[in-house]
Amino acid sequence: MKALVLNGSLSAGDPTDNCQAIILDELNQAGWDADTFVLRDTKIAPCVGCFGCWVKTPGKCLIDDAADDIARSAVASDLFILLTPITFGGYSSEIKKALDRLIPTISPFFEKIGEEIHHKLRYDSSPNFAVVGTLKGPDAECERIFETLVVRNAINLHSQQYAAAVVIGDPTDESRVTIKEALEATGVKK
Amino acid sequence: MILLLNGSPKPAHSTSASLGEYLLDRLTERGVQTSTLRINSSINTPESIQEMLTAIEAADIIILAFPLYVDSLPYGCMRAFEIIAEKYHNAAKNGQRMIAICNSGFPEASQSEIALDICKRFAAEVGFEWMGGLALGGGAGLDGKPLDKAGGMVRSVIEALNSAAEEIAAGQPLSEKTISLMAKPMMPSWLYLAGGNLSWHLQARKNRVHKHLNDKPYE
Repeated sequence: MKALVLNGSLSAGDPTDNCQAIILDELNQAGWDADTFVLRDTKIAPCVGCFGCWVKTPGKCLIDDAADDIARSAVASDLFILLTPITFGGYSSEIKKALDRLIPTISPFFEKIGEEIHHKLRYDSSPNFAVVGTLKGPDAECERIFETLVVRNAINLHSQQYAAAVVIGDPTDESRVTIKEALEATGVKK
Repeated sequence: MILLLNGSPKPAHSTSASLGEYLLDRLTERGVQTSTLRINSSINTPESIQEMLTAIEAADIIILAFPLYVDSLPYGCMRAFEIIAEKYHNAAKNGQRMIAICNSGFPEASQSEIALDICKRFAAEVGFEWMGGLALGGGAGLDGKPLDKAGGMVRSVIEALNSAAEEIAAGQPLSEKTISLMAKPMMPSWLYLAGGNLSWHLQARKNRVHKHLNDKPYE
């Protein structure tokens, strides 16, 4: 089994960055392989909204950079993990830059899911989806926005299983339990 | 002074620009001074960042217009938020007020709610007074056309922005009536679905890749 981990921490050694080792350790203990991208050290150009990845080179972005490696890994993964400081309830700019460049992996065509229109899958299946977000302190409003965003993303990514984990402050043994529960909920079992 | 921050990653012909510029024109008619910055050109160099921060400092009201990208704001807007928050954290100097306009490629305006929640939270963290958010579904249907050339389907969008201009000029928050007008679907969702799917086929045909629309290059 394989996971793709995107680390969206903005600075080395911050609480978000420190969660990466826990995630990789839990994956390793469960016998999973992982592709890990520390996004602040990865050169990715922002999406320019041209839709070339849908109508010029279907399935591939016109920009050739590390986002292509991330998209390839996402398609081959069983679990897609984001690690991010919770930023105004959302994801960090580093995570957003990478996520915006993943639209080649979905289809431009629309379908109805429940009462809403969404894009169809391009590939036969989609990875499960786990997001680990960090906060400096308890913040109910930020947690609500973050958890809702994860649910919305899971619908659009067509992820069958998804989970959001919130870590407060520097990761502790308790944080490891929180992260482990999110990974178990998205298929990581020993 | 009212500052329009255009959060579209597209360099030109964006729906965010169509909406934002229409609103600015209505405010200019009322004698309000306005200026515009493109976010994606404002976050890359120390000089452009300083120019953005100076414009924000000079503004009474900031209008952010952006497209919904993966259920949230595009990268550039989140980066701009991080930069602005680093400068202002809970200490906006001039008591700026903020409005956001989100347009999405899905017909349901409600899909933009969480992106507007992120904007509202940003405003609270930097000390800007939140005046409300407008969400437009099916914005891709406009394809960056100026609103006055987009035909009858944008009637309620124009009504919403006229109403927003009146409220902004009077220093009032956006009303429920204005928010509801903007959220009114431009067309039935079945028509949007059929028209959208046809549009992808036509664009791909123009590029001679219509037989490859469902390719899976990473398999």
